[in-house]
This record gives sequence, structure tokens and C-alpha cells, in this order.
Amino acid sequence: MGLNYQTVLWNKHKKVYDKLIVAFMLIYIILFAGLTFAFNGETTIETLIIRAFGTLAVIMLHIILAIGPLSRLNTRFLPLLYNRRHLGVSMFLAAAVHGVFSIIQFHTLGNVNPIYSVFTSNLDYNSLANFPFQVLGFLALIILFFMAATSHDFWLKNLSPKTWKRLHMMVYLAYALIILHVFLGAFQQETSPFTIGFLSIGFVVIAVLHLAAGFKERRTDIAKAEKDEVNWLYVCTVDEIEENRAKIFTVGKERVAVFKYEGKLSAIHNVCKHQGGPLGEGKIVDGCITCPWHGYQYLPGNGQSPPPFTEKVATYELKLAADKIYLNPEAFPEGTEVQPVNC
Amino acid sequence: MIAVIDVFITVLAAYFGIGVLFGIYFFLAGARRIDPLIEDSKWTVRLLLLPGAIATWIFLLPKLFKNKKQ
Repeated sequence: MGLNYQTVLWNKHKKVYDKLIVAFMLIYIILFAGLTFAFNGETTIETLIIRAFGTLAVIMLHIILAIGPLSRLNTRFLPLLYNRRHLGVSMFLAAAVHGVFSIIQFHTLGNVNPIYSVFTSNLDYNSLANFPFQVLGFLALIILFFMAATSHDFWLKNLSPKTWKRLHMMVYLAYALIILHVFLGAFQQETSPFTIGFLSIGFVVIAVLHLAAGFKERRTDIAKAEKDEVNWLYVCTVDEIEENRAKIFTVGKERVAVFKYEGKLSAIHNVCKHQGGPLGEGKIVDGCITCPWHGYQYLPGNGQSPPPFTEKVATYELKLAADKIYLNPEAFPEGTEVQPVNC
Repeated sequence: MIAVIDVFITVLAAYFGIGVLFGIYFFLAGARRIDPLIEDSKWTVRLLLLPGAIATWIFLLPKLFKNKKQ
């Protein structure tokens, strides 16, 4: 959160993560080059660069796509989610090196515009086996460019969170295009089973993680809540919530986060105003509910961001019966002060 | 197929061509009109935002006109 925009929002933790990303990329490129020259000494530098950065981008994309569901399945992965934006931009840069070198090597030798050549050097669009796979990679690169170029809070605010989210959900379209790009390229240009094997494993892992996370969330959403005599909904017992953490509870189609802190309980709407992050997966830091995605903060008692910030979320009323927590399903308007329940 | 490719490439080139022109305006003056918070930020922020302006000018243009009217 800030009152003006910073070029890059770095803090101590983010710097460590960014150094790890750079170290991973460098080690991968060096290892790839070493193994390539050891087993295939005739490989040209251009081909090496194209393959090293292409495979690096694919691996990074798999890691990026795995972080979301892993964080929903286990909160220990949340720090990775918090730093996913820089990983995404780094992945785009690796993909861009692959794309630019591929265009230079394969499409700049004639007198046709290189971009036009990407689309027209192979016109076998009706054939599955011989489909011009480069076109798929080019389209994926454009999508990744849109995403990397808008990876800044300025865009989130000024494109609106809804448009920004839709734009960034296109990563799944880019992933599908990249899968096809690599599969078809591997079929047409090399006989090694490793590329297809690794990519298949990667696809299965990503699909299984998303399904597992989806099932877990669905279980929470469809769980029928027990009601008391005045139709308040039973959430859980006090002991089921960790200190400074929350239990996410579904009311109708809305998710509510019930937080336990300093011997008190408060409930707020689960969706962060910044980017729709799950507030209930965050924790209380310095007395504020802190979104796990980008650190936006809200006061538990009124759902308001601490001054001078102006974000507000809806609040809910709670009551205790013995150690059982009950929630009034009627939400208060955003930012309404609600007395915390002592527990 | 060639006709489809021609149209696609032309649209793509036009989109990014307009995007570059918009990006220059965005860097020099437009960013401030879209979001006054940028006024207190360094010029490097606007430079970093330039690719985004080139890519998303189509979403920003209506916002720019709306802010101008106000």
C-alpha cells in the first residue's frame, strides 16, 4: 500500500526472492549449456539460446501456475504467491529471449517482414502434424507481454481490478498455446521423448493441483451450515481457529473470514479490494488483517484500511454460545464498526 | 489463409502503432491525467509503465477522455 507509485515495490523478503529467481535462471542456463555441449557439441550458440530460454520459460510458467493452487491447499506456500509477480515478469523475459532469437534465426534471412514470415513461412494450417507451431508461440508471447507489461499496481487500479484479473487469467490461454507450441515443435523437429515426457508430466501436475484446490474450495462452499433459533449460522468452535488467523466460511455465495486475535473474534468479507485476494488466508500483522497477496491491510473491527488509505470491506456480526461461534448472515455495509466478540 | 493473415498482421501493427503514439503521450502528460497519484512518483515509474500503456491504450483512452471532461 502506498500514496504514490514506486518503480518496484521491494522489501527485504522480496529482494531475497528476486535474488533466488535470478540465481535459478542463471544456474539453469549454465547447466543447460554445459549439458548441451557435453552431449551435442555441434549445437550452435543461437540454437542453444533458443532452447535454453524456451525450456526455462516453460519450467517457470509451470512453477507460476502451481503456486496458486498450492497456496490454497497449504498456507506454507503463501510467501511464493506474494512474490509471484516478479517471477511472472522474469518468465516473460526468458520467453521473449526465446521468441526474439527464434525470429532472428528463422525469419530474418529473406526479404519478407520477419513477423509476416512467422505466419506465412509454413502455410500448412489444415494439417495437425505439420501445423505452423511458431504461430502458437508468437500468440502466447503477445499474451505474456500484455501480462508482464501490466504487472504494476498502477494498472490494477486504472484498468480496474475486474479487467486486470480477466487480462491476467489469459495466462491459461497462453499456457494452452505454449503446450501446443512445444508438443508440435517437438513432434516436427526432434525425436527425443524427453520434451514430450516432461511436458506431459508438467501438464498433469498443474491439472491435478488445480482440481485438488478446486475440490477443497468447493467443499467449503457447499458445506451446509447449522442454524440457531434466530437463523445465525454456526461457523466452528473457538479452538478451530489459530491465533491471528481466520476460518473461511461461506454465506450464500459470499465468503466470510472469521479472525481470532488478542482474545477477540471479528468477521469481514473475505475478498480484498485491491485484487480480490483471499483475506482469510492472510493473518493479523500489527493489529491489521493483512492480505496474503500484496499486503493490503484492514482493521478487523470495522473492515477499513488504516488511514490514510480508504479501502473498505463488509463486516459481519458474531456471537458465542459456549465455545461455538455463530455468524449473522446479513452483512453490514462496507466499513461498519462491529464490536469484536471476546473469547 | 493469406488474406486472414494479412488482416491479422495489419490489425496487430495498427494496434501497436497507435499504442506507441499513445505511449509517448502517456509518458509526457497522459499518465498524470489518468491517475494524479503519478504526479508524486519518479519519472522512472512512467518509463516502467510505458509498455503497459502501449499494450492497453484501448482501455485507457476512454478513461482519459472521461477525466478530461471532469
